[in-house]
Amino acid sequence: MLACLCTVLWHLPAVPALNRTGDPGPGPSIQKTYDLTRYLEHQLRSLAGTYLNYLGPPFNEPDFNPPRLGAETLPRATVNLDVWQNLSDKLRLTQNYEAYSHLLCYLRGLNRQAATAELRRSLAHFCTSLQGLLGSIAGVMAALGYPLPQPLPGTEPTWSPDPAHSDFLQKMDDFWLLKELQTWLWRSAKDFNRLKKKMQPPAAAVTLRLEAHGF
Amino acid sequence: MPAGRPGPAAQSARRPPPPLPLLLLCVLGAPRAGSGADTAVISPQDPTLLIGSSLQATCSVHGDPPGATAEGLYWTLNGRRLPRELSRVLNASTLALALANLNGSRQQSGDNLVCHARDGSILAGSCLYVGLPPEKPFNISCWSKNMKDLTCRWTPGAQGETFLHTNYSLKYKLRWYGQDNTCEEYHTVGPHSCHIPKDLALFTPYEIWVEATNRLGSARSDVLTLDILDVVTTDPPPDVHVSRVGGLEDQLSVRWVSPPALKDFLFQAKYQIRYRVEDSVDWKVVDDVSNQTSCRLAGLKPGTVYFVQVRCNPFGIYGSKKAGIWSEWSHPTAASTPRSERPGPGGGACEPRGGEPSSGPVRRELKQFLGWLKKHAYCSNLSFRLYDQWRAWMQKSHKTRNQHRTSGSCPRADAARREVLPDKL
Repeated sequence: MLACLCTVLWHLPAVPALNRTGDPGPGPSIQKTYDLTRYLEHQLRSLAGTYLNYLGPPFNEPDFNPPRLGAETLPRATVNLDVWQNLSDKLRLTQNYEAYSHLLCYLRGLNRQAATAELRRSLAHFCTSLQGLLGSIAGVMAALGYPLPQPLPGTEPTWSPDPAHSDFLQKMDDFWLLKELQTWLWRSAKDFNRLKKKMQPPAAAVTLRLEAHGF
Repeated sequence: MPAGRPGPAAQSARRPPPPLPLLLLCVLGAPRAGSGADTAVISPQDPTLLIGSSLQATCSVHGDPPGATAEGLYWTLNGRRLPRELSRVLNASTLALALANLNGSRQQSGDNLVCHARDGSILAGSCLYVGLPPEKPFNISCWSKNMKDLTCRWTPGAQGETFLHTNYSLKYKLRWYGQDNTCEEYHTVGPHSCHIPKDLALFTPYEIWVEATNRLGSARSDVLTLDILDVVTTDPPPDVHVSRVGGLEDQLSVRWVSPPALKDFLFQAKYQIRYRVEDSVDWKVVDDVSNQTSCRLAGLKPGTVYFVQVRCNPFGIYGSKKAGIWSEWSHPTAASTPRSERPGPGGGACEPRGGEPSSGPVRRELKQFLGWLKKHAYCSNLSFRLYDQWRAWMQKSHKTRNQHRTSGSCPRADAARREVLPDKL
């Protein structure tokens, strides 16, 4: 199912941004957010590689697909194409903002005592970058006049390792966290590209570009 | 693919985007039935074992999915399927495994022992921690930068390979009183190091030791007793300048400033200078430069670029009888000696002239001179001035020697030289 939806997302058009004269509006911050998602995607690739090697095989094998047991509370990036295309700007941005808030929280709680100091540093560095992305999304929302989503009382995501979760289950949780992060970053690139397109004058040239992603 | 869960597309197909509060619920994840966590259980769960020990494990399948039995189940360890002969079916719902003579864990996060269903899907997993208890850390060495902090390094016992994550904790206390303190800033200068940034007492020795702990046990190093004042190091001397000495083609003058951080404390600094030719890796070291901030390098090649560095040792700080610890070398400073103005051996006179820019004869003479000095003088400070005088004298006598040589009377020249030397000096 995941693979099928990803194939669908691959064929979405990607449009280069055009500079507009006069008031730039939210354009530059949308572009910046887009750039940030690509940068984070790149950073995540190397972090995930190292982390999965630390978890050991089979977690670092390319076609590894364990059951999603503890990962129920992770925000899911995969979404029906029609739904995705018809999202309002506000919803689109809100979904992104909330997803990364949760993901950042989970990442911070990734309390891998046994991880090497270097791995812990990489994780901390990535969290900082992710915080930057959150700020950037908030900037776009503010520029467009949308309020930042406030967490409902009692739903504040305070993730801590489930005490009932064995070490192996925790490894699976970690695996799915990284996977979901990856998927969200791919999706966000598309989200912000779409927003960019919307903010531009209609005479913009449309070029279809197929982007290939491998898991 | 894991069984028994509806995909996300099936749920949200052809529905308008839900309003915000409901969306939040979706994002946080409404509880789902049949999470699959109860599919099977491995026992023991996340055990810790010594290298070489054996393990008996079981995978017990539960009712969900219905009809699941132990038939067709199999084990993998770190992604590799285990040989059939290691497992056996205990009863309808339990598969057992017997592993012997276990090797150390492949990764510190634990070996991944997984129980699979017939179709390859994962039913349950357990992390095996196989390793050794830590050995005694040793070789603790510490240094204090300008008496403000303390950095310590140690060597883990058994080359650190315990296969398990081993936690090192550096502890310290004042020798005759005070409680144990734990260092907090690790990995400052390598994997086995720690930095204590403040609240250090002088004049009373500290006791320092390292504790190593992992899942299989702990070990403690011997206690190192030290006085902060005995392990002081400082910054490299700032403002190192290297310049030519007039037109002298085989000398360079090095000047520096004493490290400012310790200028308020009484100490006799010791310095070391090292220098090398631009495209060489061999450094020459000038030792024994005591409590001065300049030095002259001699016997250098003319027309050559030299790199020079200086470092400092806060010897005898606050009356400590011991040498401190050498600072880092200063950033390399470069300078070049003037080119030789005298024509090379190929041009001019036919016979080889003694004492010319080719380093051999000059160095020989310098050696002779310094040897003489060592016997007759104790202050190395005076050597270079005297050396200049001597060189000037040598150049003069060299001219006379040549005149004599062309007329073929070398012995007389040597004799003349020997006569003149003691008088001049």
